[in-house]
Amino acid sequence: MLKIENLTKNFGKITALNNISLEINSGEFFGLLGPNGAGKTTLMNHLIGFLKADSGTITYNDELVKFGDKQIKRKIGYVPQEIALYQELTAYQNLKIFGSLFKLSKKELSINIDKALELVQLLDRKNSAVKEFSGGMKRRLNLAVSILQSPEVLLCDEPTVGVDPQSRNAIFEMLQQLNKQGITIIYTTHYMEEAERLCNKLAIIDNGQIVASGSLTDLLNTLDRKKTIKIIKTAETESLYDKLCEIAAVNVFDFKYEIIQNNEFQKDSQLYTYFEKIGLSSNLIEVSSASLEDVFLHLTGRRIRD
Amino acid sequence: MSNIFQMFKKDLIRFMNDKTAMMLTFIVPIVLIIIFGNIFGGNNTSRGKAHVIFVNKSNSEIAKLIEAKLDSSSNIQLIKKYRVEGTDSILSFTEDKAMEYVRTGKHAAAVVFPSDFLLDTSATMNIKFYYDPRNEIESSIIQGGIQQTIFSQLPEIFPALLARQANNFLGETKANGFRNDMANMISSYFNIPKDSILKFASTKITSGLLKQTSSDSTKNSFIENLINFDSEQLVGKDLKNPQVTRIVGGWAMMFLLFTLTGIATSLFEEKQEGTLRRLLCMPVTRTEILLSKYLFSLSTGIIQLMVLFVFSWAIFDVDIFTNFTNLLIVIIISASAAVSFGMIITSHATSLSQANGVATLLILVMSAVGGAWFPTFLFPDWLQVVAKFTLTYWSVEAFQQIMWRQAELSAITLNLLILIAVTVIFNLYAINRFNKGKIF
Repeated sequence: MLKIENLTKNFGKITALNNISLEINSGEFFGLLGPNGAGKTTLMNHLIGFLKADSGTITYNDELVKFGDKQIKRKIGYVPQEIALYQELTAYQNLKIFGSLFKLSKKELSINIDKALELVQLLDRKNSAVKEFSGGMKRRLNLAVSILQSPEVLLCDEPTVGVDPQSRNAIFEMLQQLNKQGITIIYTTHYMEEAERLCNKLAIIDNGQIVASGSLTDLLNTLDRKKTIKIIKTAETESLYDKLCEIAAVNVFDFKYEIIQNNEFQKDSQLYTYFEKIGLSSNLIEVSSASLEDVFLHLTGRRIRD
Repeated sequence: MSNIFQMFKKDLIRFMNDKTAMMLTFIVPIVLIIIFGNIFGGNNTSRGKAHVIFVNKSNSEIAKLIEAKLDSSSNIQLIKKYRVEGTDSILSFTEDKAMEYVRTGKHAAAVVFPSDFLLDTSATMNIKFYYDPRNEIESSIIQGGIQQTIFSQLPEIFPALLARQANNFLGETKANGFRNDMANMISSYFNIPKDSILKFASTKITSGLLKQTSSDSTKNSFIENLINFDSEQLVGKDLKNPQVTRIVGGWAMMFLLFTLTGIATSLFEEKQEGTLRRLLCMPVTRTEILLSKYLFSLSTGIIQLMVLFVFSWAIFDVDIFTNFTNLLIVIIISASAAVSFGMIITSHATSLSQANGVATLLILVMSAVGGAWFPTFLFPDWLQVVAKFTLTYWSVEAFQQIMWRQAELSAITLNLLILIAVTVIFNLYAINRFNKGKIF
């Protein structure tokens, strides 16, 4: 459906996208995961024809996506990172202004506006000025504006930045609902939990390059181990830090140590025996399944929020 | 104290990093001081001369003497010839041609020394002064300059007038004897060569014999009677409020530039808010976005100017309806040019604050130099040339022609063509940059 081949974009001496290739199929909830500045938004900007690539191509249903392509813009909705709304206007006025650019009939536009407002649960506030909305409501309206033309693909560029957990969940549910209706969703984020929860296919981008792509299972399979071991930081464990470092690499976080297992401790049992030997209480040990965070660390050698 | 100093330092660093604030704080006032200094400062030699048409129909030696003095005046530039339109031939001004030039606004004033400039039987010099008080200060300067020149020549003119009166009353033979005796006496008492005294006292008036003109009863003194300054206002006689009519166009243009540049640069605000990017992600072209902004700015500009002119009519009785169609055309074209100015600023600025800073600087300078605040003839010659490179100059001139002398469009064709050309060039350039994604 959407095919990106060898896409490269430079801004002066900075390479924002470096020979990127990806394929996104119809109906997928595709996650583009990467830290800030990895090139996610730049890639989005190419997908909607906002930026011109230095080299490489993007095709949508075998048609070339060109810079400023009007046709592609009718098929692709875009939820920007920022709240791109006219604050002094009402929700309805915003929807009408943006919706009218899709050349829908008056009736069709009216129906689509109501549907969008219903989806984002703002129908009863349609005549309120946007500036009176809470952050979460603005985010929801931001989403509503992007689906007015009933797009085939919806690009969501970190649409939950700065949103409270309740509104974030609401937005997730709305996006999942849209995906169930058949809309292909491409979702960029640097929150691993969001990607894990929402996306059935993912690509990890770092420094303008795709470092891995596939389903969540595919990505987790790239890890040698499927578990992570963490030790809660206390006075006791702090005194054991040097001993922990003797048997494995240790990542230090604010409240925890993460044990990076090496070949010497291929088996968990060996590790636990060592913990017992050095006097580490078992209630300070946390074992969890490996996550995308671990995949990112494994692939790039650093954490996503470093 | 340390805290105060640290916070002071913080403000200083922030200020130094804010190029717009620096520009508005230092550059704008310095530029305006330079302009005002050149206009009103003490260096009068740098001020341009007031151009005035001059026609001398008199054969009088005194008329020639005054003409020579006016020629060398530092305030006045006499224009004696004109080029016949569409040809290379250059002719001397006649009185009628001079009046036509003043009426059509090609020059602000004309001075005519008529054939009866100085009657043999009179001590009064008749001068005709045709003027267009569109620029009241300019007319006053010209009148004052001419009077000053004539009065400064009184020591030379006065003996000649006396000699002529003596000839009239005593006869030439007796008058010559009288002058001879006087010369002997002055020479002996003041030790001045007799020949020089005689030459001074025998200045001949060569114009024909003419009768004594009736003196104006309001002129009581002899000095006042020396010059009969017959002024005739050729333009704007019927205007009810000439003062406001003179300035309304200039001020309207300045505020128009501020308003429209503000709207054009609002693209930066839309960029910051993200709405511009959202628009660019919708099925609209960059040209459509820019043209919609242009159309809105133009409409706002036209309405703003209309409101200002209607207000000046309602409150100050400025006549806007006699030549309303032409006024509307000038309003539309001026507004178009002002929007294109905003577009060109937007197409080159990198941020909203930079756009606002540059726009403020340019608008104030263009208003000062282009004649929105005071007439350009007050400027030094070099600044008068610079004025012609501003939008304000061509627009203000067009407004004055339309409102002051109810001129036809043909009288402001050049103004309109220049404003249209600027509009087209600026907009094409801005659209080109916007389409290539060089702006946003």
